[in-house]
Amino acid sequence: MDPRFIRNFSIVAHIDHGKSTLADQLLLKTGAITEREFKEQLLDDLDVEKERGITVKARTVALRYKHTDGETYELNLIDTPGHVDFHYEVSRSLAACEGALLLVDAFQGVQAQTVANAYAAIEQDLEIIPVVNKIDLPVTRIDDVLEEVETVLGLDPYGAVRVSAKKGLNIEDCLAAIVERIPAPQGAPDAPLRALVFDSKYDSYKGVFTYVRLKEGTVKKGDTIRFMRGGSDHDVIEIGQFAPLRKECKSLGPGQVGYILTGIKELDQVTIGDTVTHAGRPAAEALPGYQKPKQMVFCGMYPIDGRDFEKLRDEMQKLALNDSSFSYAPETSDALGFGFRCGFLGMLHMEIVQQRLESEQDVDLIQTAPNVTYEIEERSGDVYKIDNPQDVPDAGVIEEFREPIARVNFILSKDHIGPIMQLCADRRGEYKNTEYLGPDRAQLTYELPLAEIVYDMYDKLKSVTSGYGTMDYEVIGFKAADLVKMDIMVKGERVDALATIVHKSNADNRGRQLCKRLKKEISKHQFEIPIQAAIGGRIIARETISAFRKNVTAKCYGGDISRKRKLLQKQKEGKKRMRSFGSVEIPQKAFLSVLSTDED
Amino acid sequence: MHRSAYTHVPFCRHRCGYCDFTLVAGRDDLAGRYLTALDQELNRVAPPTPGGRVELDTLFLGGGTPTRLDGPQLDRLFDALFRRYRLAEGAEVTVEANPSDITPDLVGRLADAGVNRVSLGVQSFDAAALTTLERDHAPTDIPRVLETVRRRIDNVSLDLIYAVPGQDLRSWEATLDAALALEPSHLSTYGLTFEKGTAFWSRRRRGELITPPEESERAMYAAAMDRPAAAGFHQYELSSHARPGRECRHNRAYWCGDDFEAFGPGAANLIDGVRRTNHRGVLGWLKRVEAGESSWVEEERLAPEDRARELVMLNLRRTEGVEREDFQQRTGFAIEGLLLGDLEEQESLGFVTRDDAGVRLTREGRFVADGVMAAFL
Ligand SMILES: Nc1nc2c(ncn2[C@@H]2O[C@H](COP(=O)(O)OP(=O)(O)OP(=O)(O)O)[C@@H](O)[C@H]2O)c(=O)[nH]1
Ligand code: SF4
Ligand SMILES: [Mg+2]
Repeated sequence: MDPRFIRNFSIVAHIDHGKSTLADQLLLKTGAITEREFKEQLLDDLDVEKERGITVKARTVALRYKHTDGETYELNLIDTPGHVDFHYEVSRSLAACEGALLLVDAFQGVQAQTVANAYAAIEQDLEIIPVVNKIDLPVTRIDDVLEEVETVLGLDPYGAVRVSAKKGLNIEDCLAAIVERIPAPQGAPDAPLRALVFDSKYDSYKGVFTYVRLKEGTVKKGDTIRFMRGGSDHDVIEIGQFAPLRKECKSLGPGQVGYILTGIKELDQVTIGDTVTHAGRPAAEALPGYQKPKQMVFCGMYPIDGRDFEKLRDEMQKLALNDSSFSYAPETSDALGFGFRCGFLGMLHMEIVQQRLESEQDVDLIQTAPNVTYEIEERSGDVYKIDNPQDVPDAGVIEEFREPIARVNFILSKDHIGPIMQLCADRRGEYKNTEYLGPDRAQLTYELPLAEIVYDMYDKLKSVTSGYGTMDYEVIGFKAADLVKMDIMVKGERVDALATIVHKSNADNRGRQLCKRLKKEISKHQFEIPIQAAIGGRIIARETISAFRKNVTAKCYGGDISRKRKLLQKQKEGKKRMRSFGSVEIPQKAFLSVLSTDED
Repeated sequence: MHRSAYTHVPFCRHRCGYCDFTLVAGRDDLAGRYLTALDQELNRVAPPTPGGRVELDTLFLGGGTPTRLDGPQLDRLFDALFRRYRLAEGAEVTVEANPSDITPDLVGRLADAGVNRVSLGVQSFDAAALTTLERDHAPTDIPRVLETVRRRIDNVSLDLIYAVPGQDLRSWEATLDAALALEPSHLSTYGLTFEKGTAFWSRRRRGELITPPEESERAMYAAAMDRPAAAGFHQYELSSHARPGRECRHNRAYWCGDDFEAFGPGAANLIDGVRRTNHRGVLGWLKRVEAGESSWVEEERLAPEDRARELVMLNLRRTEGVEREDFQQRTGFAIEGLLLGDLEEQESLGFVTRDDAGVRLTREGRFVADGVMAAFL
């Protein structure tokens, strides 16, 4: 295929501004799907996506579009997620494109992720087509929105396309703009092959699907290819594209996007960001690849049934192949046994991985409360990072305890500035800047400890701004802070999986809250259970779960015997989703209660 | 061969708000069909010799309210039973009775049929508690009722319920004292439970009924153990108290793990280690029997170890607990071999004691018996 007739673009936007819905329309209008095949957010095919109505993974589709100039173009579309946790997916998608459709909701206007994604596209030098979506809404602010596009993003509003993805209005304009304004990819078809691996997926029948974007050269079935960084060679048994269903083709040339099947079953042979070349005629240099994503939060994941450890390892490996921003490494806990320390881009990402592991892969998990990465400098001069509170050394050897700091941009209406400033002050934030986006809206910039925002700032922001405020953040470095490790003792025994790192000024408060929470989550036992929070050797808070004082059913006659037995057995089984420590059963929920900052 | 039999009589005037037993309220018209079906169900009792009858040590008529049946109906019931069964020398024959049904005529009929033990559903001597429980008698009826029964049957047990919403420890102690003052031969003391599907269950959920706090229930249970003991009763099971020699032999059979037969809707038997449960609906049971089908809808054959564990649960209800030799003989397991770790744990918590004779709940263990038993299941 002549690269002149290829266009590669991503659809990017703030969450819910209609990317997937626009993708539906582009599929429909180019005939990739028929009216009959149409369903809303067709590309969101993961269970978690359907359930939550959001896109989690970027998806690629090759479309055939006959333009008014009489030529047929191949449009490779990438629908991207909008949630801040998946910003990495967006950057990766943009790297495979020459242009981007930047969607902006005609009522909501420019929001935090609009800004973040627009900058990502600008950074990669892409042609950006602003698209105002949802023009069918009863109330819109199209002119204001276009002004925001100009003042906040520095983009030319005159080229903006106005569409309704839901109603299918002006989709043709969108297609025309893609062909006319996004540059064709470059690259010689006869040059040595260089194709960027941007995604992969495990299929139990076919092996690993390697998703590639070709920069130069041509790949065909039967070729022997080489992963330049991985170093392994494989014969191509199938190549094709997604349109949106998997469709085999003869060859892929420069600028094209598709998949390669080699029958690889070993999951560790394919790495996202690697370059595919020909074994017989290798390219001199690999493509730049991707920066490794930075995991923001870490937590322990342990199989509830210790025997599932190996299975969990396999499943994590498969999932990591399809989600390169998720990391995992084996760890052990005195309390929970063998499991994994897992890294995520954010809380939503964490929830989704857990859900995918449990539902797609059928393993029951115990998950510990997430934490961010900290940096420790010891008196000896050693500096290292830790992502597990258990690894905090003795207070005596610590010279400096540093935490990650994020620059946070809030976009909100003026009325909400006060309450958000209060919230940031409560959370050790440092005010940086206010910028007005128009008469009523402002962008507020703060520097906040990542630990203070990553768990629940988003929810707090939503509640303070009645749902209208948005935020985006980026880690900018580490900073020393008065941090301590807080241990939790249950019935006199330290439960390592409940340890957390807290700021000293807040320690007593957190200790009390946590003990109260745990008291609520852990049910009564046959004996009294003291719960204590301690820093160093000092107890800072204490609660007691009293023992059962009366727990006896009076009657048990002939007809009741098996019912009674089953009832007691069931009470025992109710403890399945729990782990026992010494003799105390701690439910899964208790581990996460470490997170809660609620007062009750 | 079983030496105990239970018959369920599923009729009541009204379904009390806390009751989830198998019964129909206000459907006395079904009594005739019930008696016919029962007769048919009894056909499964195969006598040892043709024309002979199976010998019983204990027979128990429970409900529901057996005394809901009228005189001729009761005669039919006993006739059906005694065509298959005969009573051993000194056998115990119990009938549960509602106080307001007691008349000299009824008592005479029962005694004539061979009934020698009556279990009276007194429940409380606190008028407010009786109202809450939706019972149809008054506390003041009981002395006269008792006197009527005793004219022919001297072995009388009183059923009492504590932890009724609104009841405090005082009221419960007064009930215990009033009961003891009447010098029954036996007392059963039950803590009120809230069962799914009952009116009480939903009323509690709506906040209309409030259960006494745990500490208060504990104090009531303590009183239920201590007051009868002070009056010369012997507590032989978690909620059963008897004057010497007046323990309910029928119920003991359950807790000892003996075989027993059972008839009527919802009844469950235990024969040769297999437990079979009848259809739990009165009409369902009727239809099955009338259609000539088996009244059993569930059959439970526990693995030897599970049976042994279940027996631990039952034996621990008794004051003598699990008796080593008896347990080994019945189950093939040595109690320690089966449960050593758990036994030691419960012992260290102070809930059980062990000695040469066996394993028993301590007084403290009785308060939390469910948790202790669960640990052994
Ligand atoms: N009224 C109206 N609603 C729209 C339009 N386009 C999308 N929506 C609605 O907006 C919501 C979000 O649409 P999606 O297409 O899932 O948004 P998205 O940008 O893909 O969301 P994420 O992938 O989660 O970031 C859905 O309820 C759509 O029906 C439109 O043109 N008009
Ligand atoms: S009288 Fe007894 S069996 Fe009948 S409904 Fe009341 S509690 Fe239940
Ligand atoms: Mg989407």
